[in-house]
Amino acid sequence: MPSNGMTISPTAKSIASYVKKNALHVKKAQKAHKHQRTESVREADYKGHHIVITTQYQIEVDGKIVMGHLGVTNDGQVHYHPVPNLSFASAVDLVKQLINIFPDDFVAKGNRKTHHRKMKRTLSGHKHT
Amino acid sequence: MANVRPNIVKDASARQKYAKGVNLLKREFTGPTTASLGIPGPSRPVSTYDLFVVWHHTAMSTMTPPTQGDRNAAHRGPVFCPWHRFMLRQLELNLQRVLNDNTFGLPYWDWAVDGQKTAAQQKKSSVWAADAMGGSGSPVKTGPFKFNSADPTSFRVRIEADVNGQLVQRNHGLRRAFGTNVPNLPTKVDTGGVLTLTPYDATPWDVSSSGFRNRVEGWAAPTPPALHNRVHVWVGGDMLPSSSPNDPVFYMNHCNVDRIWEAWLTKHGRSYLPLQSAPAFLKGHRINDQMSSLLSAPMKPADVLDMRSIYVYDSLIV
Repeated sequence: MPSNGMTISPTAKSIASYVKKNALHVKKAQKAHKHQRTESVREADYKGHHIVITTQYQIEVDGKIVMGHLGVTNDGQVHYHPVPNLSFASAVDLVKQLINIFPDDFVAKGNRKTHHRKMKRTLSGHKHT
Repeated sequence: MANVRPNIVKDASARQKYAKGVNLLKREFTGPTTASLGIPGPSRPVSTYDLFVVWHHTAMSTMTPPTQGDRNAAHRGPVFCPWHRFMLRQLELNLQRVLNDNTFGLPYWDWAVDGQKTAAQQKKSSVWAADAMGGSGSPVKTGPFKFNSADPTSFRVRIEADVNGQLVQRNHGLRRAFGTNVPNLPTKVDTGGVLTLTPYDATPWDVSSSGFRNRVEGWAAPTPPALHNRVHVWVGGDMLPSSSPNDPVFYMNHCNVDRIWEAWLTKHGRSYLPLQSAPAFLKGHRINDQMSSLLSAPMKPADVLDMRSIYVYDSLIV
């Protein structure tokens, strides 16, 4: 049987009360996602060895740092938390799509020449234990 | 008696009630403000409809467990189906309240029917008619959620996720871009195939898992993005970021996903994995773990496995 919570009709008062109770979690979740640099950790076990691969990403577009969390799955697909339904073969493909998906965050540059600052990708750790 | 959730293209009354209810919730303010939710900028009231946008984004931004960056409190893991069922039911209860109609059932969009058509026909499906969800565009200019710059009460996106994954205040019309990112919707072969898969979910409980959940979410075969994910991506625009409930089509998509899950539960039994005995790193996804909530008391996956006393679908043929 479903819980009563799936049948109780909400009221304006109950909504205000629950939102007030959960507001701190909303604020915390917001803060947790601001990163100058994101780190992705992949782990796997192979022939008795434990593999840990830590990858750091810092993304800049037109010199401005993009601060959402980027992750990499064990098959190498790159995903980005603010775009929950897609994964990409490369971080460059991902950033191109971010420019399409978030038009309000990227002012059109028209014929702007290629910016000299590049996306930095650092493989910072790879150890077997 | 259980309410019936209808196919939106076959029920004009449900279409009208849904649009009316969404617009009523969009104009209802119960007290929460942008300031009280930590959304930057001037403090403004947040509508009940937009609280669902905030809820979805917050669940998606809550990593489970916090030590990893993949599985979150609503996606990319087992809780995907039960959490969205919980969310849909809360919206349905609120729509019933503002419509003053306890018999209202949330309509679903059987997108695989449209997926059988040509790419051009998919964009002209009856679900996109002016008396249904309106069409594509930036902003959308037809239907009950069309933008009218001269009318501040017309449907507008007020809160959305920005590129950094932060909720920000906006004021723009709804955006859609049908078929821009993927040319076609999922097909009946895709939905039929997912029903054959067992178990519900499996180790490693993420986007590489075998089983029903990962396939219906859309990270597995036939070609990711598939099924649920593919619908988000095909509609495009405001359906792409973590604030995707901004588009009322979000609920039509998820209601169909819920219908597919209900068909699966009917076929294979009302089972769910992982059980509560699973390791602590799966907290938030186990059968008796609390799911993320915002507007109501929290629920557990176990609470939502059998909804037949509350609602049923007009058809479980997927």
